[in-house]
Amino acid sequence: MTNYIIALVLGVFFGFSLNKAGLTKYYKIVNVFRLTDLAVLKFMMTALVVAMSGLYVLRGLGMIHFPTVPSTYIVGNLVGGLIFGVGMALTGY
Amino acid sequence: MTWIIKQIRKEMWSPYVAGALLGVVGVLAVLLSNSLLGASGSYESLAGMIGKAVAPKLFSNIYFGISGPDGKTLVPGVMTAGITWPVILLVGVFFGGMLGALSSGTFKLRFNDDAQWKRVFGPQPWKRWVIAFVGAIILEYAAGIAGGCTSGLAISGGMLLAPAAFIFIAGMFGSGILTALIVYGRRF
Repeated sequence: MTNYIIALVLGVFFGFSLNKAGLTKYYKIVNVFRLTDLAVLKFMMTALVVAMSGLYVLRGLGMIHFPTVPSTYIVGNLVGGLIFGVGMALTGY
Repeated sequence: MTWIIKQIRKEMWSPYVAGALLGVVGVLAVLLSNSLLGASGSYESLAGMIGKAVAPKLFSNIYFGISGPDGKTLVPGVMTAGITWPVILLVGVFFGGMLGALSSGTFKLRFNDDAQWKRVFGPQPWKRWVIAFVGAIILEYAAGIAGGCTSGLAISGGMLLAPAAFIFIAGMFGSGILTALIVYGRRF
């Protein structure tokens, strides 16, 4: 139950950050692919850098164990990514 | 204090600030629930739950898990069917996005009001709906193949330095740029 409350609260902050970054808008998503507005890239990479620093520090301190890391299967990941990009550039989601 | 309220009420934040917030949320998800953020997986969990209730035999497969005749899971699948952690997260995302729009006073029922979209595809809302529907099928199918979407694989996998995430990001931007090039043509 507590786990679900955590999920709900974290979800609210997740949605809030997406909204404030403008990632809920079509033109923001598609313009990153037109290379005219790199907000999506800046948003994603900042999130990555902050999260990976935090996670690796916490793991170094022994406070967390990593959950199951998404598995790597090169062809699947790449083909999935290639199809995903088409959908993303079309819909702007 | 007024400064903080003023910042929260802004419609658009610097992507660096919003990204940092998401990064903290990603760390907290692992710290508090040992879970990863993700969006696409929750649709699959819900679809699996409905499928298992409607057509148990068809949905008893390696993807959603093989269940015995009494409905108990014998072999766990790639995706867990049911109300999982990411499903609840997604409910939170809905309200979080709503809260974001409310705080900046831009909350409004919209059908198709993106100026750039209208210039490219035309003003008819049905076009937006059809392309959104087809595009969303493409997105979800691709996320199923790759093992996650922008949040579940690119960000959550990337923060654990999973190679899969970076291969996915490369593919996503490659074909995204190509698709935009085709859609926008000379206007690119």
